[in-house]
Amino acid sequence: MRYKLRHQTVYTYEEPVDNYQSVLCLQPRTQDSQICHSFNLEVSPCPSKIHFRTDFFGNSLAYFSLHEPHLELKVIANSDVEVLPKAMPVLSNLTCAEVRQMFVNNRPLKVEVLQYQLPSNFIKWDDEVKEFAASCLQSETPFYEGVSLLCEKIFKEFQFKSGFTTVNTPLKTVLKERKGVCQDFSHLAIASLRSLGFAAKYVSGYLETLPPKGKPKLQGSDASHAWISVYVPDMGWCEFDPTNNMIPNERHIVTAYGRDYADVAPMKGIVFSSGSHKVKVEVDVIPV
Amino acid sequence: MIKDLSLSLLNTYKSAINSYDEVLDAKGLVKPYWKSLFETLETVGLEGIELRNKDIIENLKENGVTYNVYNSENGANRAWKLDPIPFLIHEKEWQTIEKGIKQRAHLLDLILKDIYGPQLLVKNAIIPAELVFDNTGFMLPCFDLKQKLQNQLIMFACDMARGPDGKMWLLDNRTQSPSGSGYALENRTVMAKVFPELNKNIYRNRLSPYFNHFQQTVAKLGNISNENPSVVFLTPGLGNETYFEHVYLSSYLGYTLVQGSDLLVRDGYVWLKSLEGLERVDVIIRRVDDEWCDPLELRKNSLLGVPGLLQVMRMGNMAVINPPGASVVENYGLMAFMENACKFLMDESLLMNSVATWWCGQPKELNFVLSNLPRLIIKKTNRKQGFRTQYCRLLSSAELEELRQMIIKNPKEFVAQEEVSLSTTPSFIDGKLEPRFAAIRTFMVSDGSDYKVMQGGLTRSSSVKDRFVISNQLGGISKDTWIVTDNPSEHFERFVVKKNTNASQNNSLTSRNAENLFWVGRLYERTMSLTSFLKIVLNRLNENVNDKAQKQQAYLVVLLKSLTHLTQTYPGFAEENDDAIFENPEPEMFSLVKDIKKAGSIAYNIQSLLNTANQVSERWTSDTRRILNLLEDSLQSLKNTSNINQLSHRLDKLYTRLFAFYGNVFETLPRDNGFYMFEAGKNIERILSLISVLRSAFSFKNNEEVEAVILEAVLENHHLLTQYRHVYKSQWSLVAGLDMVMLEKNLPYTLTSLLDRLSFCLSHLPKSTNANRLGIDEKIVLEASSIIKLIDAENLVKVDEDTQYRSELDKTLEQVQDLISKVTASLSSLYFSHSVIQHSLLDTIEKINSDEI
Repeated sequence: MRYKLRHQTVYTYEEPVDNYQSVLCLQPRTQDSQICHSFNLEVSPCPSKIHFRTDFFGNSLAYFSLHEPHLELKVIANSDVEVLPKAMPVLSNLTCAEVRQMFVNNRPLKVEVLQYQLPSNFIKWDDEVKEFAASCLQSETPFYEGVSLLCEKIFKEFQFKSGFTTVNTPLKTVLKERKGVCQDFSHLAIASLRSLGFAAKYVSGYLETLPPKGKPKLQGSDASHAWISVYVPDMGWCEFDPTNNMIPNERHIVTAYGRDYADVAPMKGIVFSSGSHKVKVEVDVIPV
Repeated sequence: MIKDLSLSLLNTYKSAINSYDEVLDAKGLVKPYWKSLFETLETVGLEGIELRNKDIIENLKENGVTYNVYNSENGANRAWKLDPIPFLIHEKEWQTIEKGIKQRAHLLDLILKDIYGPQLLVKNAIIPAELVFDNTGFMLPCFDLKQKLQNQLIMFACDMARGPDGKMWLLDNRTQSPSGSGYALENRTVMAKVFPELNKNIYRNRLSPYFNHFQQTVAKLGNISNENPSVVFLTPGLGNETYFEHVYLSSYLGYTLVQGSDLLVRDGYVWLKSLEGLERVDVIIRRVDDEWCDPLELRKNSLLGVPGLLQVMRMGNMAVINPPGASVVENYGLMAFMENACKFLMDESLLMNSVATWWCGQPKELNFVLSNLPRLIIKKTNRKQGFRTQYCRLLSSAELEELRQMIIKNPKEFVAQEEVSLSTTPSFIDGKLEPRFAAIRTFMVSDGSDYKVMQGGLTRSSSVKDRFVISNQLGGISKDTWIVTDNPSEHFERFVVKKNTNASQNNSLTSRNAENLFWVGRLYERTMSLTSFLKIVLNRLNENVNDKAQKQQAYLVVLLKSLTHLTQTYPGFAEENDDAIFENPEPEMFSLVKDIKKAGSIAYNIQSLLNTANQVSERWTSDTRRILNLLEDSLQSLKNTSNINQLSHRLDKLYTRLFAFYGNVFETLPRDNGFYMFEAGKNIERILSLISVLRSAFSFKNNEEVEAVILEAVLENHHLLTQYRHVYKSQWSLVAGLDMVMLEKNLPYTLTSLLDRLSFCLSHLPKSTNANRLGIDEKIVLEASSIIKLIDAENLVKVDEDTQYRSELDKTLEQVQDLISKVTASLSSLYFSHSVIQHSLLDTIEKINSDEI
């Protein structure tokens, strides 16, 4: 599938901002199953220069700063992305116990995945999380199947509700209230896996949504999305979407990989201002 | 007889030794250089040493040497402790030590580069992956920071102590922003001043070459981006434990001391916000810890750093010493793998032993630690985890069990070290020489590819007998550290020659400091004018001892009310119809002096002055600092004042000290923007306080005798009494008085002359727009000045017969007062715009989601 992707973010400030520093993580990755044919940023007010770099995880980041007082900041990222069909590797039958053992014994493997096994900024766990995960990932369960069970459990037991959580809502609250958004569900799934010694990444990206039957697709009706990538020995990194209980396919567009949301937030910024701000985001994922 | 005496100190000391000691060699003989030190000590005698000790304390206090202790009860600052007995190491031994610590510096530099690069150490199992990825010092955004010198680790310090084999052992590494070199220098300076005869028979190496090397390295790093580099010293600010050192070192090295909010990233460079605009920065020497350096990429709620700093480093447009991320090698767990890392990276063995260390993340090591727990020291692998080092031998069995369970639960988080026995060294404790455990911190700086070692260091000895408690936080005592030589060493000092040195550029006034200096001027004058006026009122009060329950003299009522208006400490004496307070005014007077919680009191004002002066302490000369200490003494003694005679006396003393402060500042401050800010602040405050007294004194008419006494007091307040008497003899005329107080051009305390001086100061400040036009601040002062200069005193004293109100006088003065009050706001908007609040924006997907998925 090939998509035209448009991600627009508008900040409006109560008081003029005269110094703004920002890092963007908005460019879709080019990798085995995906080609980013083109990418451009429109920023207004226009910064004197935008600097691109590749971070530790191989994601593409853009840095810019603004120094003229402004009350509105608009960032539009336009991409032309092609997602290729993924060949499903042969399913691994390794059990959870076997996989866990491999992480301990296989040193090169450990070096590669260790940072996705450790607690990170937004992902910390306790016994409660462990308990939540344990029923899906029992020692004798094949690991790949266990992860699917976990995603299904989250999908079935949790209600998708936007506005209930923020980026700083602890997993404990999500677990207790059984509500959240894709970001919370991905964090929960990752925490569950890591709490039992497995390795999982956070994936930031987009999902093409389909309008209700017979209705036209509205502009700005898409959104950024998040899911997870799990290391399965013999298969490599395998992606799962706990929010929709599905295996990401040609409708999932990958922007970045990280340990959690903090590593790959689409837009990080520091403003110098005395007032508050509002933000509005519109995303369009248009098949071409 | 004489011979016996000469050995008594040494013999007494020797008999107190109960471990191996620095003074003795392997055979138990006294080392010759210690012997000659003891001979000198002998001639001075214990009482003499005690006197020097007092001198040292006095000197350190005068120099303002402090070490802030977090969460300490009585104020933040603790005086630095310096032992009059130095720590001696012979050059021959030092050469061996140098080799060992230089090798360690190279090793840590290589480890640092490997961790933030190819990670061969981890891939080849030389160090466990946990010690990189589960290391709070490992920061992913620092991965692609490479500075242009071969060594990334520019400054390095390590702590060492003498182990049981007689050799120095390495205890700890400091790599992010090592502190202590400034204290070492200050220790040397104070010792040389107080105890010069001590090194008469001993040659010792100098410390200054180290600082020259440091300056050269800084210049080298700066020259990459700029032929004439501008260097700043970044401090977290006054609250930091080693803030004294930041002030001291930055001024010794000649770098501008700044805080994060003084800097700004723009167009790929870091800029200093100075009063004259933005100035590019080429090198930052930082004392802000790694994770606080850049809120954009590191800890997002940090207000101590500079957003965008890492990006500028990436572009190679500026250098930071040490680069952020360096704390990764401070991890205690890595200590266990140094020998292997050294073999792997340098193909050689460690020259200096480290304390035996076991990382509990490995099963074999964990077992060893658990079965030997009672004799080990336990630390957390990652520093700064709020965990105090545990000396297991001192723990109860319950505590030991608790610790054991903690380790078993999360073995990777713990490191065990052998508790080595350390050497003792003579220390002067309670009037005697006692053996105490000691450790030395040594300092190194890279010249780009090799390390230069300071010929000395910072030795700290234990504050507790037979225990090893050397941390400054816990009261350790520092010592001057001498590298002793047999012959005087030839000393070649190489100075860094700066090209196109532009003096003003090298000592920029940050807009934050401009504001501080402005407020020092204001607060000085606020304290001063209140002190003078209080003295005047107090004299009147003392001349007229009032029997209790008798109605107070009318002029005193007016003067007392003026005091309340001046200090804005309402209700105070301004309460209508309260005669009681006038019959016994003393309690309110005392509270106006000593109540530090009462905004407007003398004590409160001195405290504010001291706080603000401390913010800019790098601008003061040592004499000014000494006077600031005296002001602090005055504050203490005023707080303890209980009777009225004492009060007058102490106010006199305060007055003199305040004047000494002002005189010193005035005579020594360079005539740059800072000076004019300071003077502008002083003049604004003086005008406001004089007007306040004038309005309370004369806005309502009193009978003539009363007004005569008040006029006398007001003239005294303007330092014009002598002048007035000279001209008008004993004739008291309010018209003549007001005319003089407002209009006289050649007398310094008249409103006309003060307003002229204020415009003079403002005209010297940099103009943001057209240099040939008046700024808004100057326009305001011009207007005020015109109003005053155009008054007619006859007109001012006119009274409304019904109300006794002098509306012309009061309204005119009010107008001028309002105008002058506005000057501060206009200066703020012109020059002090640094204080805008910084926010981090990291929006959640929840907010971003416009529709469900």
